[in-house]
Amino acid sequence: MSWAPFIVIGLTSGSVYAITGLGLVLTYRTSGIFNFGYGAVAAAAAYLYFWLHSSCHLPSWVAVSLVVFGAGPVAGLLFELMARGLEGVTTTAKIVATIGLLLGIEALMTLLFGAQGRPFPAFLPTRSYQIAGVHVGVDQMVTVGLAALIMVALSVYLRSTRVGVAMRAVVESPSLLGLNGISPWATRSVAWIIGSSFAALSGLLLAPSTGLSPLDLILIVVQAFSAAAVGAFSSLPMTYAGGILIGLLYAAAEKIAAGPAAHLQWVQGLPASIPFLALFAVLLLAPSGRLREVAATGSVRNRPPAEVPAALRNAGVVAVVGLAVAVPWIVGLRLPIYTNALAMVVIFSSLRLLVRTSGQISLAHFGFAAVGGATMAHLTGGLHVPWLVSLLLAGLAAVPIGLVLAVPAIRLSGLYLALATFGFGILLSNLVYPLKVMFGPFGSLTAGRPRLGFVDGQHPKTFYFCMLAVAAAVLGVVLVVERSRLGRLLRGMADSPLALTVRGTSVNTARTLAFALSAFLAAVGGAAYASSVGFVSSSTYPWLESLVILAVLFVAGTGAVRAPVIAALSFTVVPSYITSARLVESLPMIFGLAAILVAMKPVDASSLKSRLSRRAAEWAPRSSSSPALSRIPGWNPQ
Amino acid sequence: MTGPGFAARDLQVAFGGLVAVDGAHVEVPRGRITGLIGPNGAGKTTTFNACCGLIECRGRFELDGTDISRLGPAARARRGLGRTFQRMELFESQTVQQNVELSYEATLVTCRPTGHLWATRRERGETREAARAALELCGIEPIAARLVAGLPTGQRRLTELAMTLVGGFSVLLLDEPSSGLDSAETTGFGDILLRVLAERDVGILLVEHDMSLVSRVCEYLYVLDFGRPLADGPTADVLASEAVAAAYLGSETPAHV
Repeated sequence: MSWAPFIVIGLTSGSVYAITGLGLVLTYRTSGIFNFGYGAVAAAAAYLYFWLHSSCHLPSWVAVSLVVFGAGPVAGLLFELMARGLEGVTTTAKIVATIGLLLGIEALMTLLFGAQGRPFPAFLPTRSYQIAGVHVGVDQMVTVGLAALIMVALSVYLRSTRVGVAMRAVVESPSLLGLNGISPWATRSVAWIIGSSFAALSGLLLAPSTGLSPLDLILIVVQAFSAAAVGAFSSLPMTYAGGILIGLLYAAAEKIAAGPAAHLQWVQGLPASIPFLALFAVLLLAPSGRLREVAATGSVRNRPPAEVPAALRNAGVVAVVGLAVAVPWIVGLRLPIYTNALAMVVIFSSLRLLVRTSGQISLAHFGFAAVGGATMAHLTGGLHVPWLVSLLLAGLAAVPIGLVLAVPAIRLSGLYLALATFGFGILLSNLVYPLKVMFGPFGSLTAGRPRLGFVDGQHPKTFYFCMLAVAAAVLGVVLVVERSRLGRLLRGMADSPLALTVRGTSVNTARTLAFALSAFLAAVGGAAYASSVGFVSSSTYPWLESLVILAVLFVAGTGAVRAPVIAALSFTVVPSYITSARLVESLPMIFGLAAILVAMKPVDASSLKSRLSRRAAEWAPRSSSSPALSRIPGWNPQ
Repeated sequence: MTGPGFAARDLQVAFGGLVAVDGAHVEVPRGRITGLIGPNGAGKTTTFNACCGLIECRGRFELDGTDISRLGPAARARRGLGRTFQRMELFESQTVQQNVELSYEATLVTCRPTGHLWATRRERGETREAARAALELCGIEPIAARLVAGLPTGQRRLTELAMTLVGGFSVLLLDEPSSGLDSAETTGFGDILLRVLAERDVGILLVEHDMSLVSRVCEYLYVLDFGRPLADGPTADVLASEAVAAAYLGSETPAHV
């Protein structure tokens, strides 16, 4: 087969990625919010079109216009509202908010249309013409032309209109926002409207080839990420070029996967991994000065947990311990669910250590858990290693992977670390899960339970108590760490890495330790989970759950014991009490919404006051002299 | 009375094509407060960042006669170079006392292989004692249990000073410590600096816009203008110089006379 058809395919899909990437970079640079939910907007647009066209029987051009010029801008204005609520909060909170958006839209789509993929009606003519020996579809020509047109139109708009010029200035140097005499809100709103319309358009253009499936469409955001990465998250023309490049590489990988090397496992996974590899390449190889975060330092930081009176606290501890011990006699047939929840306590606890204590971020935590789970299954199922030993070894197996992720954590921070771990989580599930060292290409492994003397893990109550002991031990370890110097260093690092550095502690070691420890604990949790559910496969640890648990944890608070317990209960136990299947399906939506609300800055009296006084200062006439000058003795501005 | 301290020679910093600091030269001997002044954008904070190893630059840095040019920021701090920031870097979610104690602990971390993990009993005692002394020196024991996030600027500046003093650094670089302070607070801050100088064998480099503070505490001044050294000398002489006034007032007189 010749390369030409692949080039046509690559250019077409690359053009869609380019449109998505342009919108992403435009909104990121103007608002400081990197929208992980961007692909979800594309997915929502495709579904909306599907509904308007198939159920409301609107002609396709009307439906397209409604989606791109109606729903897109409306979504943009909603984003602007969200962005106002997120002004000044930490990068983590911003990331969690947009992840909440992703989860919310994904759950809504699944709820309304089902998780099953559906064919998407082509709305562009698919007739094809022979050009230089290659069949090129009209839809392909239109897509490529549209992307080029958009790039040109955007450049013209950014150069010739007042808002456009302001926006370009802000894109190039975000600190200029508000200095140019145009309201920053106006600039940002327009950027959100353009960005969301681009997202909607790219959803429509992509859907005919992927079909209607929420997750597949949401993943277009990854292609947009890598396109944006090629443009160093700041250059619009380079982002366009990046989109095309990713499209071409993708097509080339597909050609290789269809060629003589097709029998190799990893070659089959190659096409889907191209965007992640490109993203990693940029994140790990670009000079770190090139990747600057927009509005990286939020003024609202982690607040220390509220002081609880000692008596109340002790009473609470006694009550929780009592309940935990009594669970097997109270919950009846739901006992296995509570046992699973104990494993989740461990995973949440490890995530809390990383996110809350050390102020870093991981969107790949279920990846660590999967490594632990697979190792556990191999050790207990195949090799008959004792349960507790397997549990610890499973934890150790994830440490090298934690160390790998510490590399981007040292080089990058905040947003770029989140991106790196996001890509890493998906890559792990695409490329590594199917390998024999993990779950193998076909499926499921059996994980054993403890058996030692009179302890028989096959007995549900006995096993519950084994797991309770593990969870308690992990919580104990985390509490000890919190009180040790490492805990103090990690908290200090979350507040100000610079303040530690200039006093003699390079934070790289602390970062690495945090990732290694967190990976270890997450893998122990994943191993315990494997043992609890009995059979594990790739689908036991879906990458999307890494995002869900981050959102759930964020909502659950900050306490070292309280947050993991509350998070595990709401993630694992609560759904089992809900009898309505639709309500269970909509839980991620509720988690997502809650995450957005929690991430937004609480509007309290003082912040409102400072906002008002800032507005007042903006309107007040600027004094012509700088205060510094007036302090020089003997100098009089008049 | 002055001894060896810190010196930065032939310092050059460029951001892309823009030369921010060109040929600056600063000596900070122990036992005296040295001032670094200049109009906004003169490159004072950039000079500080270069001295601490936070940004790439050309030049040579010496601390007590040893070349520290190749060391990273944390290593320079361990050799005895401490600093504060104009935009304060505090551990916002913690109390004043915890801020100061953690700053001391940060100087102990690399003393042993397990230094990142836990503190020994002896180190815990040392930490408490050092923090108490620093809090006392800065006069902020009464607010030791308060969270720094809610404190007024004056007390936050004092907290950051205590965080720097607690480390036992031999040279302190203070970046506009009086910005955001009223005149009474500034006077109080000056008193503390003079007391630090009297009680401890340190050298202080002070970047400052408040000329009353500068003329009161600094013995020697360096003036930067557009990244170039404009003048240096004893404080009174420099402040009387016409070139310095011109740089500040933006007069038509060429700055490099």
